[in-house]
Amino acid sequence: MKFSYNWIRELVPALAEEPKELMRLLTMKTAECEGLETVGAPLEAASVARVVGVEWIKGGHNQIAVVDTARYGRKTVVCGAPNCRPGTLAVYVPAGAKLVDGVESDGMLASGLELGVNRDHSGIVELEAEALPAPDTIIEVDNKSLTHRPDLWGHHGMAREVAAITHQPLRDPVRLERLPAGAAPVAIQIEDLALCPRYSALVFENLTVRPSPLWLQYRLEAIGLNAINNVVDVTNYVMAELAQPMHAFDADKLHGSTVFVRSARAGEWITALNEEKYELSASNLVIADEKGAIAIAGVIGGLASAIGPDTKRLVLESANFQAASVRKTSVALKLRTDASMRFEKSQDPVNTVRGLARAIELLEEVSPGIRVVGGLADRKAPFKTPAPIEITVDWLSRKLGRSIDAAAVRSILESLEFCVDEPAPGRFSVTVPSWRATKDISLKDDLLEEVGRMIGYESITPQAPLIASVVPPENPARLYHRRVRSMATAQGFTEVYNYSFVSEEMIRDFEFKPEEHVHVTNPIASDQTLLRTSLLPAIRKNIVENSRWRSAFRLFEIGREIHPRPEGLPDEIPHLVAAMYEREGDGTASLYELKRLAECLMRGCELRPAAARVFEHPERSAVVLWGGKDTGRLFELHPSLGIEGRAAVLDLDLAVIERLDTREKRYQPLRRFPTSAFDLSVVAGLREPAGAIQQRLAEAAAADLVEIEFVRQYTGAPLPDNRKSVSYRLTVGANDHTLSSDEVAAIRNRVIEAVRRAGFELRL
Amino acid sequence: MSLDVEIQKLEADAVARIQAAQDMDALEAVRVDVLGRKGSLAQTSKGFGKLTPEERAGAGKALNAAKQALETALEWKKQSFAAGALNQRLRAEWLDLTLPAPGPRPGSLHPVTQIQNEIEDLFTSLGFAVLDGPEVETEYHNFDALNIPPEHPARDMQDTFWLAGGNLLRTHTSPVQVRGMERLGPPLRMIAPGRAFRNEEVDASHEHTFYQVEGMMVDRDVSVAHLIYFMKTLLSAIFRRDVTVRLRPGYFPFVEPGFELDIRCLICGGPGCPVCKQSGWVELLPCGLVQPNVLRVSGIDPDQWGGFAFGLGLTRLAMMRYGIDDIRLLQSGDLRFLSQF
Repeated sequence: MKFSYNWIRELVPALAEEPKELMRLLTMKTAECEGLETVGAPLEAASVARVVGVEWIKGGHNQIAVVDTARYGRKTVVCGAPNCRPGTLAVYVPAGAKLVDGVESDGMLASGLELGVNRDHSGIVELEAEALPAPDTIIEVDNKSLTHRPDLWGHHGMAREVAAITHQPLRDPVRLERLPAGAAPVAIQIEDLALCPRYSALVFENLTVRPSPLWLQYRLEAIGLNAINNVVDVTNYVMAELAQPMHAFDADKLHGSTVFVRSARAGEWITALNEEKYELSASNLVIADEKGAIAIAGVIGGLASAIGPDTKRLVLESANFQAASVRKTSVALKLRTDASMRFEKSQDPVNTVRGLARAIELLEEVSPGIRVVGGLADRKAPFKTPAPIEITVDWLSRKLGRSIDAAAVRSILESLEFCVDEPAPGRFSVTVPSWRATKDISLKDDLLEEVGRMIGYESITPQAPLIASVVPPENPARLYHRRVRSMATAQGFTEVYNYSFVSEEMIRDFEFKPEEHVHVTNPIASDQTLLRTSLLPAIRKNIVENSRWRSAFRLFEIGREIHPRPEGLPDEIPHLVAAMYEREGDGTASLYELKRLAECLMRGCELRPAAARVFEHPERSAVVLWGGKDTGRLFELHPSLGIEGRAAVLDLDLAVIERLDTREKRYQPLRRFPTSAFDLSVVAGLREPAGAIQQRLAEAAAADLVEIEFVRQYTGAPLPDNRKSVSYRLTVGANDHTLSSDEVAAIRNRVIEAVRRAGFELRL
Repeated sequence: MSLDVEIQKLEADAVARIQAAQDMDALEAVRVDVLGRKGSLAQTSKGFGKLTPEERAGAGKALNAAKQALETALEWKKQSFAAGALNQRLRAEWLDLTLPAPGPRPGSLHPVTQIQNEIEDLFTSLGFAVLDGPEVETEYHNFDALNIPPEHPARDMQDTFWLAGGNLLRTHTSPVQVRGMERLGPPLRMIAPGRAFRNEEVDASHEHTFYQVEGMMVDRDVSVAHLIYFMKTLLSAIFRRDVTVRLRPGYFPFVEPGFELDIRCLICGGPGCPVCKQSGWVELLPCGLVQPNVLRVSGIDPDQWGGFAFGLGLTRLAMMRYGIDDIRLLQSGDLRFLSQF
């Protein structure tokens, strides 16, 4: 929202602060100001100038004009404007002497565009009186910080803040006594007063539609509104001043003499002022005449009843609409207007007639001869007077954390036009003004903000609170994830973050089913349509992209899989996915490195070969078991996934691991008696899992086994081509004595026997 | 030649041989020749029988002296061989320690993880619990319970990803406040770091996926002065220097009063520079006293308890800390970027 400094100064005439200081004060006490901008800068040096005589320059489009300027005396300028005629009251801008068409031009006569007062460049500005507008400074305020302040969507509201901040009086531009008495020439019918708490209107006749005077065009231009014609400009001016949106209908284009405020009928259409056609539904509120909709309430007027050059009579609407309804319609129609933006902040119903009173005076100025017909038409819901809010100085002081005296509280609230009653010293009963009561202020905490911001938060000294020292509740999952992260980085893996979104394209090669994902209903891009049920598709993308730059790397992500459930929120399951990529090599090392990472996280975990999923190498995939529980998978990505080189992946369910990771550990006494060890080499088929052989050996050694350790695996002569030998070292012992050599031999024989029974040979 | 003289000559010859020995074998040969059971000294002692007792005593003395001298010489020579051998081995074992170590280089934690860990540790040390909440949230927890009813214009501030079935991706970590109050009740000190989502186009300074820390304290008497204290303490710890903060009004429906907290520009210290857009201040975080309705809907009596809440942008902090100028790098998975941290 743009605010004109000059406009504010009209309403706070004693304002002494310069724009920059005012901007700082408003930022600290009211709303965030984003910047200053000067408009109409050429007006600084400009002068009113009367054209005394003109003479065409031969063979050109320009004339030599002699002008009498108020500030610089007589000047000769070259001017190409068609409206440069003797007698014209123009604006002269000194610009240094230069040759135009061979004639020396000392300065120029300026167009509206050149001066920055409007967008007109078809000719030079023609003044009606010898008054020149002044340069202005625009203060740009962040709209977000005005969301809760319906009153600050107009200059008068902002001027009230300025008056309170600077301790200066505020001038009210509205003279309510201008409202006409008498019978209204139009009837108003409101279907639902909750959706339209007030509808006020006036009828005018003997209107002349024409461009607005320069000062009015300049005002609107300065705050970014287009000047259109005198009537529309007046409605915009009132809106920018009082935050009250208005709309003017051509009275002769309306049917009947009743204005209806009703829900749109299903299938009803309207062509709006922007020349777009909108199909309406029952959730849209419209203004209608006997024949149909003439405006979308609080959003935009209809084209059919718009003010045109020949309009003579007008119905001027100044209404109040329910914020939620306007917002819903504006969102549904994707149509945000200056009016809808204001209404959705909950405007003050008291304001409708203030707007009309102001408009009467302005219309009289811009369309001399205009007359109000009859009296005010005004339908409204009964006003609910908000109950006064009770606050104490003590409570305010405690909440702010600094002492504050009763007189200061009263003075702040009164400067903002709250009505303050003090039934007992230090106790206030505060009545909220109507423009703050629609939604903004209803609690004592809201008054705390008024007092706090005006007294200045910088006046509060930071203070450590007196609070009990307690150990906060632990978050074991989070601590566990941290441990996982530090182990992964210690093993050389670098952490990546991927989006929670996947596209159908990304999951296609994994054969994940789109219908088993949570769907985003309003994605901006096609890669945001689904929520990930696996981290793998994005990890694959990471691998492909990084493989362009590096021939080998390790990366990991900890993130949540999101699985839909029939009811309620989806399941969010934390997963670790670690990946290793090698452009060269047979991929073996990567898989074992990842297995080591799994073992670091889960001491004693086991891998069991498993049927591969479609994206896994069919001979290189395994389930990771810990304590017999499935915790995830280790595999090589299938070559068909388009990765040049090989990538191995470990995908673990951290929720399961964290539950299994019991932190209680108990010590075992050290062995008192020495142990003995012997090696056994088992000959087996090439694809016999070593894990199965080891398990067989351990089972056979049973209670005598202290430790079993892999020594080596061997293929080649003298073994046949289809056999391998796997060697283990078994350490055996007893708790109560040293095993004799006979006992050790007996255990060894027992193990050998068992292994042979299981169908293996031994190399002895 | 007397026996004495003979022994002395033997000794002198043997010492010369010891000193000339080139290796342990040569040394052993000398030892056997001279000191062995059948060695030359042993032979000499056979002549003792012919001597007078006085002569025998003299010769015995000379024999012992010779033995001792030779053993010392042998021992000394042995040690010098050992030292030489060790030196030779050590010289042969030159190793180029400038070669890289085998095995993987250490990996890196994501810069946001690093900042987040720091902040979690900081708040834990101040007695705050670290809580988690779901990334997919209910409309109730994300909006209604935070005093943002449907059709509230504040919903515009947070472009929302809506999900089939009516849930949404949380637009801030604030819903964890609500879950924290529901779960723990007052008094309460908590933070909730995590991922949040806004439905907007991605460019160098905008991301639809970003990271925040929500913080909240609920206790008997919580004031604006306490809020400022915590924010100043926190930010001084994060930036590792004393920071100056200021509060100004800011509107967030779940706090009242609501503030924007600015810190004195760390680059220029106040006079103004491009980083702070010449204002001397950098907007850092929204905060405020918890709106009473927010306490009430979560079962906390606002007449008995009060609180403050704040939201800190982890993404923003990471970018400030490391001078990252393109937000998209954080979610890029690009190891050329990530391995720098």
